[in-house]
Amino acid sequence: MYHNILLYLAFAVCGVGLIYRIAGWFRYSIGIHDPNITTSVRITAALKALLSAVFSQRLLTLVRVLITDVLFQNHIRKQDVLRWAMHMLIYAAFTFLVFLHALDEIITTSLFQKYYLALNPFLLFAGFMVIAGIAVAVYRRFVLKVPRIKTDPMDSFVLILLAVIVLSGIALELTKLTSYTHYQRIWNIHFLTCLLGLAYLPFSKFFHMLSTPVSLLVNAVMDKNSDPANVKTRQIMELDACMHCGNCSNRCSVAVAYDRIGNENILPSERMKFLKNFIARKDIGAGGLAAIQEGIYLCTNCDRCTVICPAGINLRDLWVNVREEVIQRGHGVSLMLTPFSYYRGLNRQERDPEQYDEPLRKSLEAVTRPFGLTARTDEPIPLGRAAAEFKERAGFSVWTGSYSFCFSCENCSTVCPVVGNYENPEQALDLLPHQIIRSLGLGIKELAMGSRMLWFCLTCYQCQEHCPQGVKVTDIFYELKNSAVMERGCYPASNGSVQRDAK
Amino acid sequence: MRFSLFLGCNIPARVPQYELSARAVLHKLGVELADNPDFKCCGNPIRNADHKTFMLMALRNLALAERQGLDMLVLCMCCFGSLKKAAHLMERDSALREEMNELLAREGLTYSGRVAVKHFLSVLYHDVGTGALKEKTTRPFKGVKIAAHYGCHALRPSDVTHFDDPVAPVLFEELVSLTGARSLEWPLKLECCGAPLLGVNDRLSMEMTAKKLADAKRVGADYLCVACPYCHLQFDRVQQMMVSLRDTNSRLCTVVYPQLLGLAMGIEGNALGIDMNVLDMSSIVSFLE
Repeated sequence: MYHNILLYLAFAVCGVGLIYRIAGWFRYSIGIHDPNITTSVRITAALKALLSAVFSQRLLTLVRVLITDVLFQNHIRKQDVLRWAMHMLIYAAFTFLVFLHALDEIITTSLFQKYYLALNPFLLFAGFMVIAGIAVAVYRRFVLKVPRIKTDPMDSFVLILLAVIVLSGIALELTKLTSYTHYQRIWNIHFLTCLLGLAYLPFSKFFHMLSTPVSLLVNAVMDKNSDPANVKTRQIMELDACMHCGNCSNRCSVAVAYDRIGNENILPSERMKFLKNFIARKDIGAGGLAAIQEGIYLCTNCDRCTVICPAGINLRDLWVNVREEVIQRGHGVSLMLTPFSYYRGLNRQERDPEQYDEPLRKSLEAVTRPFGLTARTDEPIPLGRAAAEFKERAGFSVWTGSYSFCFSCENCSTVCPVVGNYENPEQALDLLPHQIIRSLGLGIKELAMGSRMLWFCLTCYQCQEHCPQGVKVTDIFYELKNSAVMERGCYPASNGSVQRDAK
Repeated sequence: MRFSLFLGCNIPARVPQYELSARAVLHKLGVELADNPDFKCCGNPIRNADHKTFMLMALRNLALAERQGLDMLVLCMCCFGSLKKAAHLMERDSALREEMNELLAREGLTYSGRVAVKHFLSVLYHDVGTGALKEKTTRPFKGVKIAAHYGCHALRPSDVTHFDDPVAPVLFEELVSLTGARSLEWPLKLECCGAPLLGVNDRLSMEMTAKKLADAKRVGADYLCVACPYCHLQFDRVQQMMVSLRDTNSRLCTVVYPQLLGLAMGIEGNALGIDMNVLDMSSIVSFLE
């Protein structure tokens, strides 16, 4: 009796949980979206899109994706056969067990009434298949140790729960005829872990058995012209579709930066985890904000993650959109003043001009103002020894100290295409290249570091190439920019496993 | 002749015609390419913020090529400049060498400096040779005027890149000429395309681009020719954006060098992706003999 109560309870929790999770897709929002798109608008838009897809040629696409990607997972097999084998063993065998064993009263008895006992060896075999799949998963996650692929408690929990369910099931079969007390005890373990898995399904990684197929299907039929209301919904749904497999982090072009900076948000798979929490609780504190800003800005928009994602998540659009949301908050992101902004510039016409310029302005101000000696025109600036330290450190390039060779011929400023672009360059750039080099000679590194010239440098190396004294002007600029970013204290945003050496 | 092909981030995502045409041309010239899916970003974008992370990112690629036992052929000039810079510093700084190799060792990698990094144009000019190229140009251009845009990070700093004479280079123009096209002399040919500042200071970036375009037009160029995805995007996609933002109407289309060479070698336009540019340059085939 109490078994039945527990069973219905687990089903109820699972059902309510599923509704709650799916409702979340329409309630929350991430990135920049039209605030006028309400939950009801989104639900209507989703239903409309669903109907129009089903009653059009796109139905064929959906059926094709359902067969090749959802059922047979061909896209995973093409990438990594071991991973595909692991997943198919678990997923196919477990599905078999669910239908022919867990739901035996409904399915098996009606279909195979007379052959019920003959089915047992197959069930046992399926159990061993699941165990083999779990063994491969454990091997991949804990023995292979692919660099930058993380395993979190949820990944382990899912594997352990599956293992307990299947192992107890196998043990049941084997103890059936030997000992009733053992049988009873193991049966309890088997039954209760199954119920736990069922009740916890919507809130655990198991939820991906629903959300990932949805993502694969939805992304197969959505494109640039899709309704913005559906994009808003899709981007939340995609967070749930991520099963934390780590493929994206493995392929990510800039993931290597994580090895030195240690900010987990650099890795796309870990960033997805961060974002899952972020949607529910947007107040993440200054540290959290800086960490996600740095992580999400360290991206060359190479699209590899989007191409590789086995859940078909459109990560490209998700990153661009969330990046826009997080850079609009806070006091500027120094990485915005690097070529990581290139893709944003290429697509500037997709943004509101003011929304586009404001974070850039804030970032430039944040990185130059602390060294704001350039603004002090009315009082003398004390000379110092800062530049001597700069020269001694010289960790950046063996020639950083070459500024002391400068004899102020101004060749660097003359050939600089940026300087040449302005009627009144000092007004636009603060110090010109030769003045930056001279201020180092005078020991006023702060003066140089507050100069906008550094950040508007094209890095074309004309100055360095044309210096008659061999001053490494462009490389010194790089060094000054590094120092400014570091001393402003906003980088690194986090302290992860790898400590960056303090300069 | 066999190289490890380094594509970087921009080409596969935004300038696939460069990869397509370079592969087609090199294949016909008998240069073999090995792909390495483990290559990642060259490190260039992070140079402004953190030098050592840049070094690690660049060196990891060099170490991977070293493990392949191949020299690298790089299509992007910014990637080329970064990789050369990292290799250059590793040669001169033993402390840095040690520190970096320690980080690389976690992935079982090591870099000892045995890899030569070569830009695509250098491979054509030096390794394949202009004589061999000339022989293969069976369908040369006639009468088309090309402004060759060198690109900064291949040319400078010359003591690091060793690409060509930084003040009076000839390599790119000779490569253009041997396709039968007329390579023009133009004052701003060695200037920056403006791409490094796009997204940081768009006005300045576009002004650099506008100046170059005006200069090339002034000397009568029919097309610009580039060998770097950043330069290409700047003269193609960004020029298109400038046309809509600044309301200027005259355009100067750009071709990627292997497209030009490939056409002259008799390769069909669609195998070189000549319809993949934003600004339509496909009419260049009308200049073929």
